[in-house]
Amino acid sequence: MLINTVILFLRDALPIFVLVVYLYVHLTATNLWLLLCAGVGALLSLIYINQIHLISQLFDGNGIELSLWICQVFVYLLALVLGYGLNRNRSSNKNYLYWTAGLMVSLTLVSKGSNFVLYFDGYFSQSNAIQSMLLGTFLGLGICLSLAILLYLTAQWLKQQLGPWSTWLLVHIYVTGQLVNALPLLVQVDFLDSSATAWSSQYFVSIEFDRLFNVLFGYQAAPSIAQVIVYALALLTPLLIFYWLKLHSASHSGIK
Amino acid sequence: MNKPVNKVIGSIVLFLGLFCQSLLAAVAEYHIQLKDHLFFPSQITIPANQKVKLVINNQDNTPEEFDSFSLNRDKVIFANNKAIIFVGPLKPGEYKFFGEYNPNTARGIVIVEHQKQKAADVN
Repeated sequence: MLINTVILFLRDALPIFVLVVYLYVHLTATNLWLLLCAGVGALLSLIYINQIHLISQLFDGNGIELSLWICQVFVYLLALVLGYGLNRNRSSNKNYLYWTAGLMVSLTLVSKGSNFVLYFDGYFSQSNAIQSMLLGTFLGLGICLSLAILLYLTAQWLKQQLGPWSTWLLVHIYVTGQLVNALPLLVQVDFLDSSATAWSSQYFVSIEFDRLFNVLFGYQAAPSIAQVIVYALALLTPLLIFYWLKLHSASHSGIK
Repeated sequence: MNKPVNKVIGSIVLFLGLFCQSLLAAVAEYHIQLKDHLFFPSQITIPANQKVKLVINNQDNTPEEFDSFSLNRDKVIFANNKAIIFVGPLKPGEYKFFGEYNPNTARGIVIVEHQKQKAADVN
């Protein structure tokens, strides 16, 4: 149970920490914005859990998987909105970016945080598991905080060296990875067919780094062909579009 | 109707047809009971390279999470409720699963084997 709790933190808490750190560096917003997002996300997560029996009955018992998948899709699309905001150089009308980032944090808290509530709710019914659960919580929290601080310093340095597009790229890579990580949910409920494994790199990367890379950029030791295709398209298509938009606006302002 | 509209409708129908293909295909079902935080049977054998449906019936009064790293599946099964999980196609081998809330007791294995050809009745 101690190990399970630590793994839960790596799987579900670490993505929340990573996203918050990236967005905090990218938007340089006040602490109030973060607290507000976290509060709203926690509230939505509790509402989701409260209704989870109802949600699980939807779509022939596939409601949870579909709702989690839809959350990830929305988070991905909201990250594209952030990228679009960088393309627009007007300094006014930037408030919508804070709303976008806030929504991203809230949706991620709903999808990842709900697992926490279910997990701890299940364990609280066993009095002999509380000690190992608490120890696992402290260990998991410590790992998440340490990594968050390292990522914060790295992201800050990147932003100073390369500008805000570098931090947006970190966000984009992260949300693409999370989107691909959610594909097995659709396979689990037979909305998507399981495809053959593209490659296996499990012997080259240790299990600890496997978890970390999975959160940072969606690394899979043995990804399916579908995952590789979705990852490539989801990562590269927006980059190409934004690059084209940048060239287009540069040539347009040059003509003037 | 306009040609572009026909093309769009045709594309949507084709997409839905491909999308629904897996839903319409018959899939073998395997049932697992979860009672007193134990899986019954704790070991099931399924054919290799085929998609199968696992129906897990949680007969306990507490929720359990069916979890498997090797199968890449995890699903919460609420108390006195059933859940359906599709697995496969899988290569031959053993794939462990466990109940995340009771990992010491709720444990099981999915054994994947090539289907043996049934010998014809001589009679």
